[in-house]
Amino acid sequence: MRDRFLIVVMVLFAVLISIAPALAQSTAAGRATTEAGSYRVPRTPDGQPDLQGYWTNSTYTPLQRPEGITRDFFTREEAIEIMKKAAAAESEQTTPGTIADVHYDFTQFGLDRNQGGVPLNLRTSLIFDPPDGRLPPVTAEGKTRAAERAAARKRLGGPWDAAQNQSFSVRCILMNRAGPPMLPGAYNNYYQIVQAPGYVMILVEMIHEPRIIPLDGRPHLPGHVQQLTGNPVGRWEGDTLVVESTNFTDQNPFAEGASEKLRLIERFTRVADDRILYQFTVEDPATWTRPWSAELPMLRTDGPIFEHACHEGNYSLVNALAGARADEKRRAEDAVKKSSQ
Amino acid sequence: MTMNRTIVWAGLGVLLAAAPLAAHHAFSAEFDVQKPIKLTGSLVKWEMINPHSWFHIDVKQPDGQVVRWMIEGGSPNQLIRLGVTKNTLQVGTEFVIEGYLARDGTNKAVGRNFILTDGRRLFLGGSAPGGDPVLK
Repeated sequence: MRDRFLIVVMVLFAVLISIAPALAQSTAAGRATTEAGSYRVPRTPDGQPDLQGYWTNSTYTPLQRPEGITRDFFTREEAIEIMKKAAAAESEQTTPGTIADVHYDFTQFGLDRNQGGVPLNLRTSLIFDPPDGRLPPVTAEGKTRAAERAAARKRLGGPWDAAQNQSFSVRCILMNRAGPPMLPGAYNNYYQIVQAPGYVMILVEMIHEPRIIPLDGRPHLPGHVQQLTGNPVGRWEGDTLVVESTNFTDQNPFAEGASEKLRLIERFTRVADDRILYQFTVEDPATWTRPWSAELPMLRTDGPIFEHACHEGNYSLVNALAGARADEKRRAEDAVKKSSQ
Repeated sequence: MTMNRTIVWAGLGVLLAAAPLAAHHAFSAEFDVQKPIKLTGSLVKWEMINPHSWFHIDVKQPDGQVVRWMIEGGSPNQLIRLGVTKNTLQVGTEFVIEGYLARDGTNKAVGRNFILTDGRRLFLGGSAPGGDPVLK
């Protein structure tokens, strides 16, 4: 108990001494926040801006601005209060006998986004452009494609009729948050950046996805070569690493939905020893009426990155398919019983 | 409370609803929320595998027969970050599991609470954030 009290005191102290720089970075409204200070980005031995290390982009800030909020930023007090409430909600045991309870939470298995720290973010949404913090309207083409995809899924049968009817994430092929763009969720929000001459490697803990980004100015792959995570090429713009990805497939798992015409531009700017500002712009005229941009901080955290060998241990998919077969059998037996009555 | 504040807190409700603990798969497809279960058993094997760990336990039934169960647990990545490793629980450790049965009718369940025989809950010792986020 005493230990717990000490931990709380230490956490509060850490909050107090760290809020000031975070505030300065967070209020720079969608700009590379190096403008906000005179931070000198360290260099690798070969002279590149040094982004190396372990980072987390855990956040309680939603991608889109919640209804009823019309501001870009919360005050520091509001942001801390919201994070406290969100963390407390994660710590609570869910209500027995509810769907939510057949799920993981902190109480159950320590599933929370606090473990590596959460950088304070005053933004009311990760999206800062359009200025309303919401995804732009979907184009007519985007709506048609979404309807066609839904119809194609329906033709496959029920979601648990076959493994192939399940999403890439359930099948452990690729998690939609692993990116790119790299968006956080409740767990595995950890990244390791390694730089070598001519390359940057970002190891994404979620689904253990290594992103190898060449910096030698090579062109993108030919258009007919398409990859689930696209084809990235990188360059330095001042101290900012800019990664442009194209050559996506039409099955891009990106949760917000996109077409193979997706062009993604990510920007990594080290704004403090313990922080990288991660920004991205999504251009996909076949899906949205205009490009949109979001940003969130990445906080230095402790390594190592743990393996996430999802497929190897994915009993869950088998169990769920077996559960669906058992449900079918029960329904068939009930129908026989009814008809013989 | 000012109007502005009220809007902020209303917005917070939306924010929390919009950020659920989306885990890896559809739990309601794998487990049946209508079938809660409480098992007392001893640990036989602990598979620290992703995306979810699995605890194999032997449960002694009232008739004396021992039945093997598999209980789904959290991802090793989270457990290890909380200081829970494969050495935390020794084979043979007795504990009570409250959870929900698998839909397929086999001896599988998802664990909701892991309680040691002395009443302590597993995985939470000293690590729970007490509702305060580790802000940095």
